[in-house]
Amino acid sequence: MDNLNDLKKIWLSADTSGLPDTATIMRAICKYRSQKLIKKAALILAAIFLTAVMISVVFLYKSVMISTRLGEACIIGAGLILVFTNIGSIGRLYNLKSLSNKEFIAYLEQVKINRAKYYRKTQVIGLSLVSLGLLLYIYEGVRLYLWLLLASYVFVLLYILVMWLVVRPRVYKRQAKKLDATIKEMKRLADQF
Amino acid sequence: MQQSFEEIYTQYSPQVFRVCMGYINDPAQARDLTQETFIAVWQNLSSFRNESKLSTWILRIATNNCLRALEKSKRMVTTDLPFDIPLPHEETQEEKLAFLYKCIAELEETERIIISLLLEDLPQAEIATIIGLTEGNTRVKIHRIKEKLAVKFRDHGQFE
Repeated sequence: MDNLNDLKKIWLSADTSGLPDTATIMRAICKYRSQKLIKKAALILAAIFLTAVMISVVFLYKSVMISTRLGEACIIGAGLILVFTNIGSIGRLYNLKSLSNKEFIAYLEQVKINRAKYYRKTQVIGLSLVSLGLLLYIYEGVRLYLWLLLASYVFVLLYILVMWLVVRPRVYKRQAKKLDATIKEMKRLADQF
Repeated sequence: MQQSFEEIYTQYSPQVFRVCMGYINDPAQARDLTQETFIAVWQNLSSFRNESKLSTWILRIATNNCLRALEKSKRMVTTDLPFDIPLPHEETQEEKLAFLYKCIAELEETERIIISLLLEDLPQAEIATIIGLTEGNTRVKIHRIKEKLAVKFRDHGQFE
């Protein structure tokens, strides 16, 4: 095109006065960082809090049955898994630098592998521990009344079944679908080069 | 670091904004992308090792951000131009700019980035570095993009 210089003149005439000033951008940066941090930190704190509650229950509530102690141990174990998994994920988030598109695709592929591994191993262990822990833990409290025992176990079993058979696969499927779509789109863009 | 970041922002934000406008063709979204770019610049400034020019590095972050703006790009204006456009008598600068953005919006995503960088007066070697292509490939791409734009502008009654 012979008129590239004319196009440059038009291009450079774009009004950039509406851009935020440096103070605004600094506030946005602080907000962005804190939002990301707060979200993850809230999850970790919630997991730590629940684990701490369970640990305090171990000392405050003098259970007489071994099943209760085992239940407590299982739930504490699951809580610790949740805490450490999320601490690891914060580290990965902050190690993500400004990558090129090819490196970004590789990063997404790695996220996909990690998620599948989490779904097949870590989450199975965590959820199994919580499920087993709940079933064991409630026995001592409800064993004296048959109707209470039955109602409690039906409720807990239903909750566990819904978590295993509905929530868990659905959440994974939704996340995997979103990630696949992103990877596909990134590859399509990479192919244009 | 904050002072130097402020200087960097003041110097490069208009350039980044224009490149984002070329990609997204929406001032509000271009402002968001500019902001996201400088968040990434700020986060990574300490790891910048002067291996490339600062402008190259910033524009590389900007172009990566643009290409990753998947959700936003779905809302982007990519409508075809009307078949029979009346010849303008005296287009204002804004109208000319709007038409330029419209033509760029009809290109492929990566072509939009390349032409935006070219219009920012970046040398072809630097464009090649930013988008991760060889200089030869970049030259070919630029030639094709120019041809496409020339056709659109000729149809619009400009650049006879």
